[in-house]
Amino acid sequence: MSAPLLEVAGLAKHYPVKRGLILAKQIGTVRAVDGVSFTLQRGETLALVGESGCGKSTTARLVLRLIEPSAGEVRFEGRDITSLDRADLKAFRRRAQIVFQDPYASLNPRYTVGRTIAEPMEVHGVRDEASRRARVEELLRLVGLAPYHAERFPHEFSGGQRQRIGIARALAVEPDLVVCDEPVSALDVSIQAQVVNLLADLQKRLGLAYLFIAHDLAVVKHVADRIAVMYLGKIVEIAEKRALFANPCHPYTRALLAAIPHPDPRRRGQVTPLGGDVPSPLNPPPGCRFHTRCPFARDICREKEPALANGVACHLAEELPPAGLDFSGGLAPNAAKRLALYAKAAENA
Amino acid sequence: MSAEPLLRVENLRTVFRTSGGEVAAVDGVSLEVPRGRTLGIVGESGCGKSVLSLSIMRLLAHPGRIASGRVLLEGRDLAALSAAEMRAVRGRDIAMIFQEPMTSLNPVHRVGFQIAEAIRAHEPRASAAELRERGIAALKRVRIPSPERRFDEYPHQLSGGMRQRVMIAMALACSPKLLIADEPTTALDVTVQAQILDLLRELQAETGMSIILITHDLGVVAEMADEVAVMYAGRVVERAPAAALFEDPQHPYALGLLGSIPRLDEERERLLAIAGAVPPPFALPKGCRFHPRCPFAEEACRAEAPLLREVVPGHAVACRRAPVEQSLAA
Repeated sequence: MSAPLLEVAGLAKHYPVKRGLILAKQIGTVRAVDGVSFTLQRGETLALVGESGCGKSTTARLVLRLIEPSAGEVRFEGRDITSLDRADLKAFRRRAQIVFQDPYASLNPRYTVGRTIAEPMEVHGVRDEASRRARVEELLRLVGLAPYHAERFPHEFSGGQRQRIGIARALAVEPDLVVCDEPVSALDVSIQAQVVNLLADLQKRLGLAYLFIAHDLAVVKHVADRIAVMYLGKIVEIAEKRALFANPCHPYTRALLAAIPHPDPRRRGQVTPLGGDVPSPLNPPPGCRFHTRCPFARDICREKEPALANGVACHLAEELPPAGLDFSGGLAPNAAKRLALYAKAAENA
Repeated sequence: MSAEPLLRVENLRTVFRTSGGEVAAVDGVSLEVPRGRTLGIVGESGCGKSVLSLSIMRLLAHPGRIASGRVLLEGRDLAALSAAEMRAVRGRDIAMIFQEPMTSLNPVHRVGFQIAEAIRAHEPRASAAELRERGIAALKRVRIPSPERRFDEYPHQLSGGMRQRVMIAMALACSPKLLIADEPTTALDVTVQAQILDLLRELQAETGMSIILITHDLGVVAEMADEVAVMYAGRVVERAPAAALFEDPQHPYALGLLGSIPRLDEERERLLAIAGAVPPPFALPKGCRFHPRCPFAEEACRAEAPLLREVVPGHAVACRRAPVEQSLAA
């Protein structure tokens, strides 16, 4: 295997919690991200999944150094970006871009779309004005919009179109890495499919690496090559996509998968809810952080924190019974037949 | 449906007056909700599913109003009730829960006070001790641990899932016959969603209430609904028992939705995306409202809106080309 594009090691972000205004005293630490390590190859998609508060978005921001880490390293092509000076950081940012979740909040309403997309090129001094304009047109076409859209303002677009604009902006400076922070969660399902397809096409065409942050495991299963599952600031399991779904090892991964309702009434009642709530990251439980909700927890889980070994951070990984989750089935025959006709007709249209 | 349904919506049309004229957010919708059953209403933003539920509750804000049609709850037309009569129906006969439990709860009042308020609205003579007792019982019913303590807490002290439980407790405090749940789990994490769906199902079994479940999530529909209505641009385009919708989907829009969602139980190279976007209610296309996005559209679809017709008893579709394999072969 060649050297990875991105190498994250022991990454942490701790926020002090203070009480008092003038003589503020630190009364605790929120461990938003607490020792996360992974690698990402060129052209690959790694998904970070987990529920709210697990630290996946904080990790995304740390990777781009939009916030400063408390500890750990982020190596991009072997170079640690956490210690770069301003100029080098800027050069790095040209190679690594981000697409945000909310297509309404992430575009400046006073900028035309053309200006929004051209801005990263201006910031990085790429091309002259005329060729920037040509590049904007090219980018608009690339994401499925039209050149005349450059003159318009964000409010004239739907959510899905805005997300396309956000993607065009991210691609303007020809990055190698795009961090996608829940890029489709705010979109309707039919629009979500358009954007997911677009991201896949762009990856194939441009050889992009994606760090894909999401909470929807079905979307993740569709887009990712590898998946890292996070819980309370830590990666509890990381594996190739197929391996993860065929044999989810960590009890939390299993719980997450078992909680998803299938779009199939024949499988009604198979959803198994996980009890309890996520504990506060202010006082994460000792030992394994999942032990308070884990049906398999034993004494060792309450006392000793498990290390990530062979892609799983669980003391009992070797002895757990099979997950017994069934991901076979698929569309009903009639639905599949008509969908094929739909796809064919859509292609001809 | 042979037995008289609890709720029957007939040809409901809800309009909003705008500077550009009246637009119909709900345009001729007819539905039935049988007793003790769950009707799922599926559709994307702007399809009118939320306006429909607000119309049933008579909670439309100005400039929205019901222009025509009837909302029959046990034969009584809610659309024709006075405001005071409707207040007596809300909470007691029909209750509603919303997507965002934080914005639906009042942050400056204790949750117990808010539950008690719902009970007091219908039973003004209840004593404080009685309200407290019933409020705690309501919290217990939605499986909130240590309800006596939670009764005196504020919404911000509760987690998202716990808040939605409080909302459900409040909605069920007066034992309504119908619960309208508008995207009740959309803002929740998937493991919490599973807890809430489980709770709703248990409560329905206990109380025999009917549920209208509004959602965009076909997984939630498959898990919860007995009957499903698919809405598009203010109209019901397909209505079927839940199993039939998934096993024998008829309307191209329903097909498109099924093709758009990535599935855990299947691997596909590409998702089947529906082209284009939902039209805004002030710029609706003529004829079938789905025709600009429909790969099967033909001349007639552009000219005239299709009527909802039964293809199988209990399964109706508003598409002249359904089932597509037959119309394509013809």
